[in-house]
Amino acid sequence: MGWALGDGYTGEKERRMARWGMVIDLARCVGCYACMIACKEEHFLPPGVFWGRLLVTETGKYPRVRKVSIPVLCNHCEEAVCVKVCPTGASARRKDGVVTVDSHKCEGCRCCVVACPYQQRTYLREKNKEYFPAQGLTEFERIGQILYPHEARSVTKCNFCAERIDDGIRKGLKPGLDREATPACVNMCMVKARRFGDLGDPDDPVSVLIRERKAHPLRPELGSKPSVYYID
Amino acid sequence: MKPYEWMVRYTAQTEWVRGGGLCIWLSFFAGILGSGSYLVSLYFNSATGALVSWLVIVALKGGLHIADARKPLGLWRMVFGVRTSWIARGMGFTICLALFGAIQLFLSYESPGSSFETLFKALTGIAAAAVLLYEGFTINSIVGIPFWNSGLLPATLMSWGIFQGLALVGFVGSQADGEKTLGAGNAVFLAVTVVLTCLYFWNAAYAGATSKESVKEILIGRLGLLFWIGTVAIGFAAPGFILLSGYDTDPVARATLFVLEALGCLSFTYGVFRAGLYSPLV
Repeated sequence: MGWALGDGYTGEKERRMARWGMVIDLARCVGCYACMIACKEEHFLPPGVFWGRLLVTETGKYPRVRKVSIPVLCNHCEEAVCVKVCPTGASARRKDGVVTVDSHKCEGCRCCVVACPYQQRTYLREKNKEYFPAQGLTEFERIGQILYPHEARSVTKCNFCAERIDDGIRKGLKPGLDREATPACVNMCMVKARRFGDLGDPDDPVSVLIRERKAHPLRPELGSKPSVYYID
Repeated sequence: MKPYEWMVRYTAQTEWVRGGGLCIWLSFFAGILGSGSYLVSLYFNSATGALVSWLVIVALKGGLHIADARKPLGLWRMVFGVRTSWIARGMGFTICLALFGAIQLFLSYESPGSSFETLFKALTGIAAAAVLLYEGFTINSIVGIPFWNSGLLPATLMSWGIFQGLALVGFVGSQADGEKTLGAGNAVFLAVTVVLTCLYFWNAAYAGATSKESVKEILIGRLGLLFWIGTVAIGFAAPGFILLSGYDTDPVARATLFVLEALGCLSFTYGVFRAGLYSPLV
């Protein structure tokens, strides 16, 4: 079985389109923030910009209070409102379901940021914001500006590590199983709370997990059909 | 707010009211004012009113969009998403209004009463109505903010547009015999705007917990002072008083009326933008 490149089809033998998605097991998540940090490191994200977050809150009332940690990221919705509202076509949904932003086309109107009901998009105001103000950019930040430049006054968001997926598929690897083709946050999760795979394949581990563990997306009532599922 | 507190409680929309986002809010205001007054100018056949309205649309609204754009020369891309994006449609309607308006103003000056002038008046009127309509639909289409996702919002904003438009045309002068009707129209639209604003808040208060929270923010929360002073006292009560006492004769009263109504609309739109809350994710 082959897997799809961003805008293409699957391998020669079976021409099926993949639809990438993620399952997050909340019972396994220990709230270590490793996914958040891995994402920041992978994409050289500037200060204050998070493509993935770990939300921490409490449920219940004293004395029965429970701390809840929920990792969130762009849901790569099938009915992505951010794509619909984008006037320039900078936000687009690839054929493999990954929602991307072309920062060269982005005019910075922030319609997509406002429209996203999950608030997982960030408008990048400044380009050279330093992690250590008035001390200049670190070597890591300088390298990041060359390897993974972010355009100022444009919108940025999680892209499911599309570069890793595409490169991995070119090398014949399977995203979700082979680390090199799998998003950084999934690789970094030490308790294996995150699983990545093809939602279009009923035999893929993520599809099996969704089916058997009754995984659900966040706020399904919005009708955006997210590709990120949660197991309670 | 810490990164881990993001969206765990009601989170306010800030992108269109913070920093450069203020340009987007002001361009909304300029769009409502310019298109509303253009429609009123066409109805009352006021060339001066049409010219001022056209300037509001082109110089103020256009200027604010250019000021906020990342690459002003790339703004033409913003009409690409016309099939699904209200902001793209709005840009298209605004460009039509600017172009048709320029031709209509030229024809009104060069050959008034000609069939071409009538044709372009009709085209400009349609474009102005579309701009006035899209302003509300641009924010109404955002399902993530329940307070905005109400059918009454576009109607309320349209009413604000006509209400201010009547004051602006009354201020800059009307050529036709509509001087008396301007005052009466303003009083009628003051009442309509008050009713629609109340209905919008009342409807929003029963549209779910998040929407109710937004209404509370505006009426008794951090935006309460702005709403009661800016919108109610300056935008509704003071114009009402002026309309009851000598609007038809006093030019200073007309200028004051327009300024008050514009301030009221600024306050109302800012309050609505600031009170846009997202429901918590957890």
